[in-house]
Amino acid sequence: MSTSAPPTRPPARALSPIFPRRPSRSRLVRGVARHILLILVLFLVLYPLLWMVSASLRPPNQTFNTLGLWPSGLTLDNYRVGWNYGTLQFSKYFLNSFVISTLCIIGNILSCSLAAYAFARLEFPFKRVLFGFVLMTLLLPYQATLVPQYVLFNHFAWINTILPLVVPKYLATDAFFVFLMVQFIRTLPRELDDAAKLDGCGHLGIFTRIVVPLTLPAIGTTALFTFIRTWDDFLGPLLYLNDPNKWTVTVGLNGFLDTTGVSAFGPLFAMATVSIAPIVGFFLVSQRLLIEGVATTGIK
Amino acid sequence: MIPMRYPQTRRRFGVAAGLAALTAAVTACSGGTSVGGTASQPADSGKVQGAVRLSYWGSGQRVELTNGVSDLFTKANPGVTVTPEYTDFASYWNKLNVQATSGNMACVAQMQGRQLNDYATKGILLDLEPLVKSGKIDVSQIPKNVLDTGRGTDGKLYEIPYGAAYDSIMINQTLAKQAGVGDPAADWTWDGFESYMKKAQPNLPSGVKAVNLGGGLPNYFIEYVQAQGQKMFDGAKAAFPEQSLVDFWTKWESWRKAGLTTTAQEKAAEAPQTEQSFIATGKVLADNKPGNQLGQAQGALTGAKPGQQLTTVALPSGSGGSGTVLFTSGFSIPKSCNNQATAASYINFWVNDHDANTLFSSNNGADTNQKELQAQIDDPKLNAATKHMLSLFKEIVAKNPPTVLYPAGYQANFETAFTRAYQQISLNGADVKSTAKSFIDNLNSALASAQ
Repeated sequence: MSTSAPPTRPPARALSPIFPRRPSRSRLVRGVARHILLILVLFLVLYPLLWMVSASLRPPNQTFNTLGLWPSGLTLDNYRVGWNYGTLQFSKYFLNSFVISTLCIIGNILSCSLAAYAFARLEFPFKRVLFGFVLMTLLLPYQATLVPQYVLFNHFAWINTILPLVVPKYLATDAFFVFLMVQFIRTLPRELDDAAKLDGCGHLGIFTRIVVPLTLPAIGTTALFTFIRTWDDFLGPLLYLNDPNKWTVTVGLNGFLDTTGVSAFGPLFAMATVSIAPIVGFFLVSQRLLIEGVATTGIK
Repeated sequence: MIPMRYPQTRRRFGVAAGLAALTAAVTACSGGTSVGGTASQPADSGKVQGAVRLSYWGSGQRVELTNGVSDLFTKANPGVTVTPEYTDFASYWNKLNVQATSGNMACVAQMQGRQLNDYATKGILLDLEPLVKSGKIDVSQIPKNVLDTGRGTDGKLYEIPYGAAYDSIMINQTLAKQAGVGDPAADWTWDGFESYMKKAQPNLPSGVKAVNLGGGLPNYFIEYVQAQGQKMFDGAKAAFPEQSLVDFWTKWESWRKAGLTTTAQEKAAEAPQTEQSFIATGKVLADNKPGNQLGQAQGALTGAKPGQQLTTVALPSGSGGSGTVLFTSGFSIPKSCNNQATAASYINFWVNDHDANTLFSSNNGADTNQKELQAQIDDPKLNAATKHMLSLFKEIVAKNPPTVLYPAGYQANFETAFTRAYQQISLNGADVKSTAKSFIDNLNSALASAQ
């Protein structure tokens, strides 16, 4: 009878050279498979966009020759020709679009955050009813308000100016962003407000020093979506901007097409590609803001 | 009760008051367009002066030519300014609807017969007959049945047509010669159309069909009805017999099933732009296309299948006569215009001035002014496609094509519904008789509610 200690079980790791541990390998395989699948789906979804970019690099009479991505004759002619095609002047249109979008972003951020602070933090008579009204405007289709708005702006003699497109943004008419920020502000602890009050802040002080810095992710979201919406807006500029010098990029792009005349697809795709660039750029920039905003907390 | 004793409330109130003042200031100094109210001067006694807005559809070359004509007008009438507003055809009507509803239509607004009554029946447009009678707008060179395309359902003249478009059958002459059928006869009938296709199909290259599937094209049906000598609309009701629609769709279905036409799926996937259509890419021998697109289609075909030639012929006639319908574009004056004299003068200039017509050169359909039309046909510098389009128009007008009066609501309720109804038959195998009956019933009730 041996008096030595009972043989301990060999550690599982000893088996690893011959039979690697299965969980880590399958995790790697699963990760790779997931990425391949996502990239494939992304490629499918982005295909029309990629096709458009490649079509813009093809000579004009070969635009629709193929559904493939590879341009047979690379040329930047479409970009050169499209910029000032006929009576179109895209330098003006891009400037107009930028001006309108910037003004709308500033307006939305200012007015929607103020309105949201009021609904989230203040107490006043009929608060719930008014908030209900604000949310109800979300249910209104734009067709319902299109004509009355036009009549109103016609009365003010604002037709053929950018005012109908910009001024409503300073009056918190975008209920979606008001709602977004209300929900965000409601998650902020009231102790911060009390702390600020103790330090002598009024409502405006609390708003600017406490609420706005903590609501940066929501503000970034508001800015991003406002930019996308106003940059892509077609019906508004179509109705209110009669003078071709005041057109935005969307109305300018529409000027390439004419079912009753000759359409210029090569230059159209080229200008469409250029007009997408600011949106992509803006998205990339504000994405960082969103992540940074989430990473910081208010309790220092 | 706003408690003003707190400095915060006072400050807030001040901010609110300041914003209100700012808005008022902005309104006062805006450079926007002023309100289009009721006419301040009746057209007959007003002078040609001041500013008018001109709204039309088009892009590229059409815009340059239209602006050119406006420049000629302002040169001939110093002190007058013409401000153009333009967009593409589809968006034009969206914009015009909103403008019309708010009384802010341009003084010279471009119109087409198919949409005319949407505005005329709602009392938006000015009756132009008094202007014609007093000689302010001279229409002596426009044939009567062409001028009648500008009349509303009440018989009053609401639009002065300046350009007449018509549908035609576009034939690929190269393929026709290959197939051994050649160009069709100028006065062919619908039966001749059928035998032409049946003869051509076996000899066409593989993949090429004799005719593009046309059962879903509203214009085709209107032209078919005209060829039978029947009326399309009577006031706000469909006046064509249900049997005509059944015959029309049955014909197309039999041709489709016999392999003479493109398949229903191919037709549904065909792009709307002329340059990408089947006829312009050499995939069909014949198709119904507007006559003024011959040049464009030829350009595209030369790129896709070099050496192939296109031409246009009139639509097949029938027992009731010519099967061609004129779609005219023209100008109207809204009642809300506050410078009707200048607007009338502009329209008169557009229709009658020789330099203006030579510059515009029938860009939006054949010139309705017969004298100008002949001058353009005789011009040796005019390109072959346009000359052919104008000559064909002259022949069509000589045959006195009947006028189709489109009731209000036609655009919204007939065109898309017609195509969809035929797609039910061709794609989903629905029964022709019951589809035709339900289409007509729906159409009548929709038109009745649109009046």
